[in-house]
Amino acid sequence: MNGSTKKWIFIKISSAILIPLMLWFIINFVSIYDQSYSEVLNFFTSKLNKLLFSLFIIFAFFFSSLTISEVFEDYISNEKTKNVANRLLYISAISISFLTIIIIFNLK
Amino acid sequence: MENKKPLSPHIQIYRWHISSLVSISHRITGIINIIAISFICLWSSLLILGESNYNMINFFLSSIFGKFIILGIVWSFSFQILSEIRHLIMDMGYGFELQTTKFTGLLVIIGSFILTVAIYLVGKFFF
Repeated sequence: MNGSTKKWIFIKISSAILIPLMLWFIINFVSIYDQSYSEVLNFFTSKLNKLLFSLFIIFAFFFSSLTISEVFEDYISNEKTKNVANRLLYISAISISFLTIIIIFNLK
Repeated sequence: MENKKPLSPHIQIYRWHISSLVSISHRITGIINIIAISFICLWSSLLILGESNYNMINFFLSSIFGKFIILGIVWSFSFQILSEIRHLIMDMGYGFELQTTKFTGLLVIIGSFILTVAIYLVGKFFF
């Protein structure tokens, strides 16, 4: 199996997992986004919500990074620029999701 | 080093039809979503700084402009959900006939607006 096939399979698996997580999150987000600090905090301190939100972030960044790197593949011809763009994308995806999950699990 | 592989033809070359509209919108909403999710991470992380700091972002999100942004994010998520379902069905080998691709493309476009309203109403009144 070559790299592109592996990437395609990862995109499809993460997409199938992400669809229900996305639906779960966006409905909850609409219900809490304009609520008070304590209401939003209540949402994020629930163990189940922490777990589901973390999974949502991991799969969302994983899926988005792979699909956006496909856009780079299609529209950036310079290999050097493409590598820099991909590295920046992966580093920001990993660091944002990692930091957010640490913060969410430290909320009391 | 310059890559010798040909690039994808840019979108202005093609005559627009439903499949191309869904395809380019899928890519655009994908980019909007990663930006939106980064802001959602920032929004949730601000909770750790306490109530007074959180109130600033709460003030913005409760404004008309904030609500408009939220509605835009809900639409972008709705579009991605429906378009990804369409892609997964096509990956299983279904829906390649010309009429079917047009129909499912239309279903994604119109359905994204219906799903946006449905998600907003469910989130606001049933949760």
